[in-house]
Amino acid sequence: MTAGKPATLDRLRQEVARIEGVPTTMETGDRLRPLGVAAIDAVLQGGLMPAALHEIAPARMTDLGATCGFAVALAARPAPARGEKRREVLWIQTDFAALESGRPYGPGCDLFGLPTRRLLLLTVPRPVDLLWAMEEALRSRALATVIGELPQDGTAADLTATRRLTLAAREGDSLGLLLRHQSSPLTSSAETRWQVAAAPSRPDRFGGLGCTAFALSLTKNRRGPTGRWLVAWDHHECAFSALSLGVAAAAVDRPDRTPLVRAG
Amino acid sequence: MWLRRLSTDRIERRSSAPGDAPLIVVEPVKGALRIAALNDAAAALGLTPGLPLADARARYTSLQVAQAELEADRALLVAVADWCDRYTPLVGLDAPDGLLLDITGCAHLFGGERAMAHDVMLRLARQGLQARIGIAGTVGCASAVARFSKGGIVPPGEETATLAPLPPLALRIDPEITRLLAQTGLRRIADLATRPRAPLAARYGQDLLRRLDRAFGIEDESITPRLPVPPYVAERRFPDPIGREDDVLGTVAQLAQELCVLMERRGEGARHIQTALFRADGKVYRIDAGAGQPLRDPERIRRLFLERFAVVGDACDPGFGYDMIRLSALVADRMDPVQSGLGAPDPQAALTHLIDRLGARFGRQRIARLVTQDKHIPEAAVAMVPAAHQASPSTPWEDEQDSLAPIRPTRMLATPERIDGVLNEVPDGAPVRFTWRDAFYHVAIAEGPERIAPEWWRGESNVHPRDYFRIETGDGFRAWIFRQDRLCKFKQIQDDGTEKDVVELKAHWFLHGLMA
Repeated sequence: MTAGKPATLDRLRQEVARIEGVPTTMETGDRLRPLGVAAIDAVLQGGLMPAALHEIAPARMTDLGATCGFAVALAARPAPARGEKRREVLWIQTDFAALESGRPYGPGCDLFGLPTRRLLLLTVPRPVDLLWAMEEALRSRALATVIGELPQDGTAADLTATRRLTLAAREGDSLGLLLRHQSSPLTSSAETRWQVAAAPSRPDRFGGLGCTAFALSLTKNRRGPTGRWLVAWDHHECAFSALSLGVAAAAVDRPDRTPLVRAG
Repeated sequence: MWLRRLSTDRIERRSSAPGDAPLIVVEPVKGALRIAALNDAAAALGLTPGLPLADARARYTSLQVAQAELEADRALLVAVADWCDRYTPLVGLDAPDGLLLDITGCAHLFGGERAMAHDVMLRLARQGLQARIGIAGTVGCASAVARFSKGGIVPPGEETATLAPLPPLALRIDPEITRLLAQTGLRRIADLATRPRAPLAARYGQDLLRRLDRAFGIEDESITPRLPVPPYVAERRFPDPIGREDDVLGTVAQLAQELCVLMERRGEGARHIQTALFRADGKVYRIDAGAGQPLRDPERIRRLFLERFAVVGDACDPGFGYDMIRLSALVADRMDPVQSGLGAPDPQAALTHLIDRLGARFGRQRIARLVTQDKHIPEAAVAMVPAAHQASPSTPWEDEQDSLAPIRPTRMLATPERIDGVLNEVPDGAPVRFTWRDAFYHVAIAEGPERIAPEWWRGESNVHPRDYFRIETGDGFRAWIFRQDRLCKFKQIQDDGTEKDVVELKAHWFLHGLMA
C-alpha cells in the first residue's frame, strides 16, 4: 500500500501546482537557492524557491541583529543559475524601522559577504509605501533580491499584501525577503517563514569571537515539513555549515504516515 | 504687454463687488500715503497716481481704499507670466506690471498677430485682468506702444514714426532724466531723435541713447526669459477642458511619444522632464521628474509621471479642467542608440528605470547607494549617495583584523545609544555586563579595544577617542559598543559642607551597532 503512495502524492502535488500556476520543483530545480546545509535543503526540496516571498523574523527582540545578518547572508549567497546578470540587492525600510533599529551598514555588509556596490537602500515613510515599493521592485526584473523591513510585527503585510508580493515575485522572477521586527501571528502567503535567533558561537582558539551562528527555526514551509537547525555562517566563503543541535533527529526522517506539520 | 490695472484688478478679482466703484490703492511715499494704482472708475473721477490720499479723500468721500501689496502684485504677475507660457516659451517679466513675450515664429500658430493679441486680451479679460498689448519689432517700441499709446501692432519699419509723438518716459528711462528733458523742452521722442547724439550723451548719460537705439531697432535687445527654454517641447490643446487623471496621463503618454520622436532625431534623451498643466482659469501646475540616464522611451516617461501624479496629484486641483498640457524635456543629454538584446530584457536598464520610478515616488534622496569614504569615524565611513547619480564604485572593505567574526556590524544605529550599568573587571577593559533598552546583557566573549581616534587634522582635537569592543553575550547576541571619555561637570559636597564644582573625565559607554 505504501509503495505507490509517494508517487501518487507527488503527482497530485504537481497537479495542484499546475492548477495554481505555481512553478513546480522540476521547473525551477536548477535555479533553487540551496543554503548549502544538507538537512535544510532536504526539507526545502533543494533550496529556497527563487521566485517567491520568504518571511524572516527574530525569535526574540534581541535577535534583530542576527535576523538582519541572516537576511544579508541569504542575499549574499551566490545565485546558482549561470548567466544570471542581476546582482543588485534592494533593502527597503520604513523611516520608523531605520530610526528604531538602525540601517544596514556598508562596511559590515561588505565583510559579511554582500559587497556594498550590490546594495541599494530605500527608505519610505509608511508601511504601505514599503509594500508598494517592494512589489514594484520584485516585478521589475532588475534585482536579484528585494528585502523589505517592517517595524514591529508588520501588520500591514497581511494575507492580501503577502499574496500580492508573492505574485509580484513570481512575475518578476525575483527573491523577496520580508523582514519583520517581531514574528507575526498573521497568516501569510509566503513560501517559507523563518524565525532566527542568535546562537553562541564557538570561540576561536584565542578565546575570541567565532563564526556567526544562527539558531534557525523554519516555522512554515509550503512544500515540506518544518524544522530547527543550528548553522554557522562563513562570511569568507559565503557558505552556511551545520552545527549539531543535540536534539532528536530532524523531522525529515519521520515515516511518511505521520501527518506533516504545516504552519501558517 | 501692459497689465494696466494690475493692483486694482487683483483686488476686484478677489471681491465679488462690481468693478464700477472707484477703488484706489495707496502706498506710503516719503511719509505720506499716496495713490499707487487706481481703477477705471477712479481714473474717470480725475484722480491720478501720486496724488496724496488726503487730497483724494477730500474730493471724494466714498472712495474705496486698499493698501498696496507689492508681493501679491508680483505673485499675480508671475502667475500671468506662467499662463503666457502657452503662447511662447520666451516670457520675460517687465516689472512691476508688464510682460515681454517673444512671439517670433509663434504668432501664426494662433492665426496671426492680431488674432493672437485678441485671444490674449479676451482670455485675460475673462480672468478679470485688463491688458493692453503692443506688438512691434523691438522690445522698446512694443513696450512704449502698450504703455503710452492705445496699443496695437506696429508694422515693421514704422517704429520711428510710431514712437515719434510719444513722451521720452515711454523709452523706459529714469523718470528723473525725463524731468530734466522736459525742462529743456524735449517732450517727445521725435525731439530726441533729431538732436545731435554727443551732447545728449554728455548731458543725460549713455543709457538714454542706448534705450533710443534699442527702441528704433539699431541695437539688438533680447528678452531675458523667466524660465529656461526647454530644448524639446510637445503640447496639446483641448477645445473642452479635461480634468480626469486618466485623460491627463493618456495625454502625457501621447505627448511622450511625440517628444521621443523629436529627441531621437537629434540622438538625445531627456534627463529632466516637466509636465505643465494649464488650467482653464489660468493656473499652471508644473510637475517635474528626473531620470538617472537619458530617457527616450515613451512608456517609461508615462510610468514616471504615473508615480509623480500618485504623490503630487492631490495638490493639482483640476478645477474646471485643463485646456492645455505641455510636456517638455528641460535637460537633454546625448543618448546613443543601443542594440537591444533580442527579446532579453536588460536588467541594467530595468534597474535604472526602477530607481527613477522609486525616486519619482518617494524623492530621489531616498534611494541611495553606499559609497565607502576614506574616513576613520565609523558613521562617516560610508556615504549615502542618491542612486540616480553616477557614483564611483565602492571599494570593498578590508578585513584587516585577524578574527573569525566580521569586525564591523551589519547594522548601525542612527545615533550611538547610551548603555548603563556597565560593569567591567579591568579598568579599561570590556564590560562584563550592561543594560541597553531596559534589558540586561551578560558578556561572554569580547574582542577589543579597537581605538578609533577623531580626525585631529579636521580640528576635532577636543573630542576624545573611542575604544570599540565587539562583544557576544551568553545567548549569542552580538553588538559593537564603545567607550568614550567625556567631560562631566558635577557638584561635590566637601567635608566642611560647602559645594564645589568639579570637572572630570568620565567614561561613557555607547552601543553603536548590531552585529550578526
